[in-house]
Amino acid sequence: MSNEKLELVKQVKSVIAQALRVEESKIELGSSLIKDLGAESIDFLDIVFRLEKTFKIKIPKGELFPEKLLTDARFVKDGRVTPAGIEELKKRMPDAPWGPFSENPLVSNLGDLFTVGMIVDYLSEKLAAAQP
Amino acid sequence: MSAPGRFSGKVALVTGGSRGIGRAVVVRLAGEGAAVHFTYRSSAEEARALAASLTKSGRVTAVECDVRKKDAIDAAVDALVEKEGRLDILVNSAGIIRDGLFLSLSEEDWSEVLDTNLGGTWHFCKAAARQMMAQRSGRIVNLSSIVGGLGGYGQANYAASKGAINALTKSLACELASRGITVNAVSPGMVRTDMSEAARSAFGDKIREKIPLGSFAEPEEIAAAVAFLASDEARYITGQVITVDGGISLLGRR
Repeated sequence: MSNEKLELVKQVKSVIAQALRVEESKIELGSSLIKDLGAESIDFLDIVFRLEKTFKIKIPKGELFPEKLLTDARFVKDGRVTPAGIEELKKRMPDAPWGPFSENPLVSNLGDLFTVGMIVDYLSEKLAAAQP
Repeated sequence: MSAPGRFSGKVALVTGGSRGIGRAVVVRLAGEGAAVHFTYRSSAEEARALAASLTKSGRVTAVECDVRKKDAIDAAVDALVEKEGRLDILVNSAGIIRDGLFLSLSEEDWSEVLDTNLGGTWHFCKAAARQMMAQRSGRIVNLSSIVGGLGGYGQANYAASKGAINALTKSLACELASRGITVNAVSPGMVRTDMSEAARSAFGDKIREKIPLGSFAEPEEIAAAVAFLASDEARYITGQVITVDGGISLLGRR
């Protein structure tokens, strides 16, 4: 990992620690925000606001956490994400571990895919794109 | 320098602070040590005079702001946070009435009241809650009215805006509790302000007869309840609409 990336990981962990009130040492790249770190819906907003402040960027609604998608009848049916919904999610989160989720695409399992690493990946791209 | 007191070191924002209840809240919070920013729309002179009269008791800043304009509100809150570094207390007091029989209310009467009373409260809550969430602490107090729960003759627009503020207050209280932010409302009866002057002079005596405590409220009496809800002592109270009406909403008669 490059020094730059290491620094980014450090900053992301610090943001998550503040938002979720967990110790930084408990946060791994593979940690699931919901399952491992106890995040609730408002915590996702808190994380987005803190990232915006820390990195001086704008994160458009739904770009990091595609939460709107989960209330869209085209993509979610009877508590399960439809195949169309999974396609849409994969587009947004190409690096997430889709295998296990696709087998049992319960909305309630989706949180497992929101990991610390996913935020780091998103920011890497976002910050690279913002370079002049 | 701020005066020592219950709100020493706190930063407050009061909307509609140049007159009426808002003004009394500004005086109270500043008098007890808060740095207070207050907004006004049309009463520039009153606003300047108020800010000047309070320079002794604390740091008071008047900000011109139309609470119907989201961008102006975001700018006002950003400027406050930039200057003060935090926002501890938001009091949404900006409000108007456009009374008239329901069947004769114009679209404008409806939207002006809803946009100002409810829209202003919603925009300010949103802008402030974002900062309070980052701080993990905050107090929001919204000014409601007893007609928000009871309804009022000739007040369909005003009552609707205040009833909605009660519901907004309770919903925000649920959502923001985990961030250490409390959200409450104060629901006054008839208060001696410019806003209620027409109503008081038209049928004041008739109304006063129905108030168990026998008189209209002074703005300071409403501000006292607002200040309590904004204080550290009220930390365990959230999502409540506190009625301060001299008992007028009770069934009992004097």
